[in-house]
Amino acid sequence: MSVPGAPTAKEKKYDRQLRLWGAGGQEALETAHILLINATAAGSETLKNLVLPGVGQFTIVDQAVVTDEDLGTNFFLDDSSIGLSRAQKACELLCELNPEVQGHFIKDTIENIVKSSPEKLKDFTTVIATGDVCTDTLLSLDAILYPLGIPIFVVKCVGFTMSCRLALAEHPIVETHPASTVDLRLFNPFPELSALVDEKTAFINDQEKMTTHEHGHLPYVLILLQTLNEWKSTHDNQPPSNYSQKNEFKSLLRSKMWNADEENFEEAIAAVLPHFNPPSIPSETRAIFQDEKCTSLTKESTQFWVIARAIKEFSEKNDGLLPLPGALPDMKAESKDYIRLQNIYKSKARADLAAVVGIVRDLLKGLGRDGGEIAESEVETFCKHAGYAKLIRGRSLNEEYEKSPKAQVISNELSDPTSLIHYYLGLRAYEAFISEQSNAQRTAPGAEDSTVDADTEKLKKHVTELLDKLSITYSSELLEGTEKAIGEIVRAGGGELHNISSLTGGVVAQEVIKVITKQYIPMNNTVLFDGISSRTTVYQL
Amino acid sequence: MATTTVLTTESPDRWKYLNNILTRRGPYSDETFEPGDEPKAFLADLKIFGAGGLGCEILKNLALSGFKDIHVIDMDTIDISNLNRQFLFREADVGKSKAEVAAAFVMKRVRGVKITPFNCAIQDKDDEYYKQFKIVVCGLDSVEARRWINATLVNLVGEETLIPLIDGGTEGFKGQARVILPTISCCYECTLDMLTPRAAVPLCTLASIPRQPAHCIEWASVIQWPKEKGDLKIDMDDPEHVTWLYTKALGRAKEFNIPGVTYAMTQGVIKNIIPAIASTNAIVAASCCSEALKIATTASPYLDNYMMYTGDESVYTYTFQHEKKDDCPVCGNLPQALTVDPESTLEELMEKLQERPETTLKKPSLRTSAKSLYLQAPKQLEEQTRPNLEKQLKELMEEGDELSISDPGMPFNLRFIISFSS
Repeated sequence: MSVPGAPTAKEKKYDRQLRLWGAGGQEALETAHILLINATAAGSETLKNLVLPGVGQFTIVDQAVVTDEDLGTNFFLDDSSIGLSRAQKACELLCELNPEVQGHFIKDTIENIVKSSPEKLKDFTTVIATGDVCTDTLLSLDAILYPLGIPIFVVKCVGFTMSCRLALAEHPIVETHPASTVDLRLFNPFPELSALVDEKTAFINDQEKMTTHEHGHLPYVLILLQTLNEWKSTHDNQPPSNYSQKNEFKSLLRSKMWNADEENFEEAIAAVLPHFNPPSIPSETRAIFQDEKCTSLTKESTQFWVIARAIKEFSEKNDGLLPLPGALPDMKAESKDYIRLQNIYKSKARADLAAVVGIVRDLLKGLGRDGGEIAESEVETFCKHAGYAKLIRGRSLNEEYEKSPKAQVISNELSDPTSLIHYYLGLRAYEAFISEQSNAQRTAPGAEDSTVDADTEKLKKHVTELLDKLSITYSSELLEGTEKAIGEIVRAGGGELHNISSLTGGVVAQEVIKVITKQYIPMNNTVLFDGISSRTTVYQL
Repeated sequence: MATTTVLTTESPDRWKYLNNILTRRGPYSDETFEPGDEPKAFLADLKIFGAGGLGCEILKNLALSGFKDIHVIDMDTIDISNLNRQFLFREADVGKSKAEVAAAFVMKRVRGVKITPFNCAIQDKDDEYYKQFKIVVCGLDSVEARRWINATLVNLVGEETLIPLIDGGTEGFKGQARVILPTISCCYECTLDMLTPRAAVPLCTLASIPRQPAHCIEWASVIQWPKEKGDLKIDMDDPEHVTWLYTKALGRAKEFNIPGVTYAMTQGVIKNIIPAIASTNAIVAASCCSEALKIATTASPYLDNYMMYTGDESVYTYTFQHEKKDDCPVCGNLPQALTVDPESTLEELMEKLQERPETTLKKPSLRTSAKSLYLQAPKQLEEQTRPNLEKQLKELMEEGDELSISDPGMPFNLRFIISFSS
């Protein structure tokens, strides 16, 4: 049976996610290629959550062979895998999840790849490092990938603790998915809107010339605009500005009701607080406008910056207003009146869009580029989200570790024993513990019962070395929280708990999807989770 | 390395990492926690129950947490739209029982675990059945099923029995996990007012002044379908039915110049589709099962009692203790206050009740202590009480009366003390 508009097989399978990120997001996902370093439980779970929604390709780099311990935490290995390549077996079992996804594996260590064939890394969309990777290798990866704009996730999952660090150079987001993009232009109506107000509300106070039905079906936007005109005529042409004036305005609205159950007036009253805000460009949008990449376009400027610049110029020519998004919420009204009002907003949005498209074309030509290289649909999406766009400028691992560590962020948290920064310090110590051992026979802190005490002391030493390096002063009681965090980390003996790995896989996959689709807002730049108290905190490190 | 005998029917190394947690005390472990063989033995013997849309994740997680005796109930069969997240199912499984396919898969993958599947509704099992479990983990997708299992476990509380309910749910990039200790901490019913009330579209909007594509779709399903198809029930999963509704809605939209009716939106509106992705399901199910492991072994403190996860804007969790309500109809003992308009009719009151999450019921029957106001069954009593629907409330009750509402889907009554609005 073929009905126009009926979903394809693929749309049926992906229906529940297409409702979140649409065809554009799906397309981005399907052309992505993820590199996973080490098929740990957390790494495999992350891939599971990316293979299911249909990521294009993934590659697993791992030299390990599957052990019995792996089977106790990783669902994507089975009894027949023992003794075989972990990269290969995890790849096979993950590929079963979705025939549309291509999986690859490399039986090698990331250390070797970074040293001998770093050019291989440039083909990936996103890199996820899990398991025990030493600091030098992480920093080398970062030095290769960060300048190329390839996001790196560094994921650590030990016992009840996890951390995920995202190194993301520049990440502009247009489709941030705000709860609403409605802008009713109440304080600065455009001429077509004002004309409709005059036409429809001329007899709002005249029971002779307007029927009760008509009065009860006036769209609330028109009621608000008419009442605002009335208000302004007695208030120096100013709209209500403070809370008490807004309440006074609500009373004025109420006095215009002809009977107690006029829902449209109730809607108008309810809209006063959320919609009576003086027009202003939100700070995130302003930051984009003021960014050097926006103020000085070049031949290489990306689409985002060209459109951002065009919208900036548009707003400068239009009293600081952004292009109208054009959305109108539902409201009590006759069908034809609502549709007419909706069309007035939509026409204005289309006119604004046309103006911005014109500026985009001129900008491109001025740069010596093809005026048509940016599709109108891209400009339209940006115009609809102009007040909600966001730019994330992350920090590289090299900045965090060497060039400009955020010592202040850490020292501010140190005295709070419940802060998750203690787990950050504990996991950094864990990494240092791993990094000082040779590649071949690494053991984790607390791997054997007999080493628990000695390893605990070693981790403490690593923490104090790190704090000294960052010139953070501390007293022994300041480190109480850190000692407990170290206690939990050593207790796990370097092992993953499946639940925490699975949760980690969910958190990381969400972030990867947000980064790849350039929709929604990824965290910036480190999230810690404590599975004991079930809390997360995001730090900018 | 700690040696184990209980958890390991396989190799002694298989559960090494889990055993690290069970054989070593952590800095946050409760004083009563005795590291060693006891928590492991307890884990292996404990019967645990899982159900719901998060079932795949829950079964995998429980099996890899060392639980050995797991029951699962799911009345659904596998649909193509499940495959983007319910990872134990393949295209060839479409149409088969979810519980059975999932149980077989996990038992094959994780050696030594026994999973007993039931292809039925959770409401089909009685108190005796639920009594056998030490913990219940649910990722159910309806409010109704959650209220039912919650009330059932609260009712089971006795000298020997207290079954913790661990509940999770997701929507898009957001989710929540919570631990309910029946009668001790806040229960599901205590927090029903956190749900956003349904924004019901008035019938007159659907019938005469549609403005939104959703109005056209609801008109097709609520008004046009019964008019043209009579008693035939809409099957949301029958593509012919959906296509019929879509075509009708499209025609209606054209008549009123309303843009935006699509097939996907038609499905979304009539099935009340909630976006769902693998990653969020993973987060919430893992959080629930981690709590189950902590409660079963006391290896670490458990969640007290609510965690909300929000992933659409950075990563944000809100972990807090939700308070138990004294007037909770399930776990409290006091009736709630209800203000009604004495001039309105009983039928209007029943419509109003449907707008509040805590009184949204399928077939509510209403009584005061003095008389039956409206009973849905049996037939004679329904007919006998039907005339009351037209009557004004002031004829039927007085201020201070206790109004009791029951529903065949709910194993408890809602109790209200009536006051009149002036």
